[in-house]
Amino acid sequence: MTEEEHTGRVRVTSPLTTAPAHVRRSVRQEIDESTGIGEVYMRSLIRAQLRAALTVAATLALSIGTLPLLFLAFDSVTEMHVLGVPVPWLILGVLVYPGLFALGWVYIRQVERAERDFTELVEPQRPDSS
Amino acid sequence: MNATYGVVAVTLVAIATLGIGAFGLRMSRTTSDFYVASRSVSPVWNSSAIGGEYLSAASFLGVAGLVLTHGADMLWYPIGWTTGYLLLLVFVAAPLRRSGAYTIPDFAQVRLQSMGVRTVASGLVVAVGWLYLMPQFQGAGLTLRTVTGAPNWVGTVVVAVIVVVNVVSGGMRSITFVQAFQYWLKLTALLIPVFFLLHAWSGDGRPTPVAPEEWFQPFSQADGPGLYLTYSVMVATFLGTMGLPHVVVRFYTNPDGHAARRTTLIVLALLGTFYLLPTIYGVLGRVYARDLLDTGRADTVVLELPSRVIGGSTGELLAALLTAGAFAAFLSTSSGLTMSVAGVVGQGLARGRISTITALRIAAAACVVVPLLLALSAERIAVASSVTFAFALAASTFCPLLVLGIWWRGLTARGAIAGLVGGGLSAGVAAILTIAVRPDGWFGVVMSQPAAWSVPIGFALMIGVSLATRSDVPANVSRTMVRLHTPERLDVDRRF
Repeated sequence: MTEEEHTGRVRVTSPLTTAPAHVRRSVRQEIDESTGIGEVYMRSLIRAQLRAALTVAATLALSIGTLPLLFLAFDSVTEMHVLGVPVPWLILGVLVYPGLFALGWVYIRQVERAERDFTELVEPQRPDSS
Repeated sequence: MNATYGVVAVTLVAIATLGIGAFGLRMSRTTSDFYVASRSVSPVWNSSAIGGEYLSAASFLGVAGLVLTHGADMLWYPIGWTTGYLLLLVFVAAPLRRSGAYTIPDFAQVRLQSMGVRTVASGLVVAVGWLYLMPQFQGAGLTLRTVTGAPNWVGTVVVAVIVVVNVVSGGMRSITFVQAFQYWLKLTALLIPVFFLLHAWSGDGRPTPVAPEEWFQPFSQADGPGLYLTYSVMVATFLGTMGLPHVVVRFYTNPDGHAARRTTLIVLALLGTFYLLPTIYGVLGRVYARDLLDTGRADTVVLELPSRVIGGSTGELLAALLTAGAFAAFLSTSSGLTMSVAGVVGQGLARGRISTITALRIAAAACVVVPLLLALSAERIAVASSVTFAFALAASTFCPLLVLGIWWRGLTARGAIAGLVGGGLSAGVAAILTIAVRPDGWFGVVMSQPAAWSVPIGFALMIGVSLATRSDVPANVSRTMVRLHTPERLDVDRRF
């Protein structure tokens, strides 16, 4: 290239042709770099999980938690018999346990689904592999 | 009761425990094997191990004894011990596993970046462990005396020695095998005699339990302290489970958070199945063994029933089976507790020149000595009540630490220390007062079940002081939250 050519025609190019094509930043990058968007995604995941946990806690408080008051308030309940067994013994000794398991099972389904959704959001090209 | 059968049963359990422990020893070589079984334990093994570890003397003997003595109101204890796992599942299980730490003090340090919190938490782990170990050792003494007539200290020392040998030789991996074996042993030991007992009871024309009216009805005296005590027991057991050191350390042995959740769900099923049984023993005790109430030996009702109801060599064999189960209960709970307390103390020691495995071994031996001396010197308190103080202490300290640490970004190191110390002192002073002084009246009632007020104190201090020291929130809290809450299969940055 010589000086003369420079004084002649100058080729003007758009900087965009050498710049990489527009890259969409992945949610994963947003999270890794703790950007505002990444934070929003994380907070929504945590909030969903906490909501599921609080739902279970509230269910417990309203069911098992109110049983003592129920027994105290309604004598008719404590004096009922089913198959010769007093109802409070049946509830406290037997029925509570399958109830606890069922609650745990429902909870796990819920949070695992929330985590799957989150995974798809963050890595759409790799939908749930587990 | 025939002493020979009992001695044979105890010996077999001891040999099986040490044998399975030795099997684990051949496989455990690295530090990670020792502390958390290299995190490769499957949910079924792990949940059996948790069940085996968790069902202590209080569950195997204590619940039946309480039901025999106090009736319907006592059914809250096993309910609380199971519900505690459900709350552990929803608030703690997966994030705790994902935190990647070995123990609660590790978690505290990872989350809050503070050695101070770590030290306080370590001290509390030791305190909870001792409170829980002492009644196990005492229960072992009582069982061996019931079965063989040997003095109390024999059973206490035998259990302590087996536990130390077991932990020192194999660490967590062998403990996992031992614990899983012991869950199934305990369930079988309690289940098989139930069939014989119910059959004999039917043969007798199904006599109804002989008891005063209030035994049958929960809260027959509305003006008494029943309601406060019931709710306080609920708070302690619901929230204390997640803070028990030997329970928490099990979650680190899961491969990932998903497995931690599945493990907990299986545990709920295993515990629910087990807790159907002690009630039957308590009720049958009202039919066949009311004299135990007068002699203050209600805790032995499970062991006494077969020889009384069935008799003959069948009765003796069943009694031996139950003795084996009871001994499994002492061994597994004590091993797990010793392991977890030793893990915490050992990590502290290992900062010096000692290797981590040597440190763990020294710590295990040292951690057993104090509760052993307490068990030998202190007069016997009911197994379940001493265990309740361990739950109350854990609920007032570690429950706020874990729940707030996992779900609230605003927790600070100073806030955590304030809550741990305040909640710990509240529950600790109540325990000491009740055991040493036994105050009367409403004050005695409030002190005997402190959780209803000590847990709110722990939470309030932790939240209040954290808000006051808001500028201290660790700078990397966002990164920690990513680590605690994102599924492992996501390839995000989890570094601190």
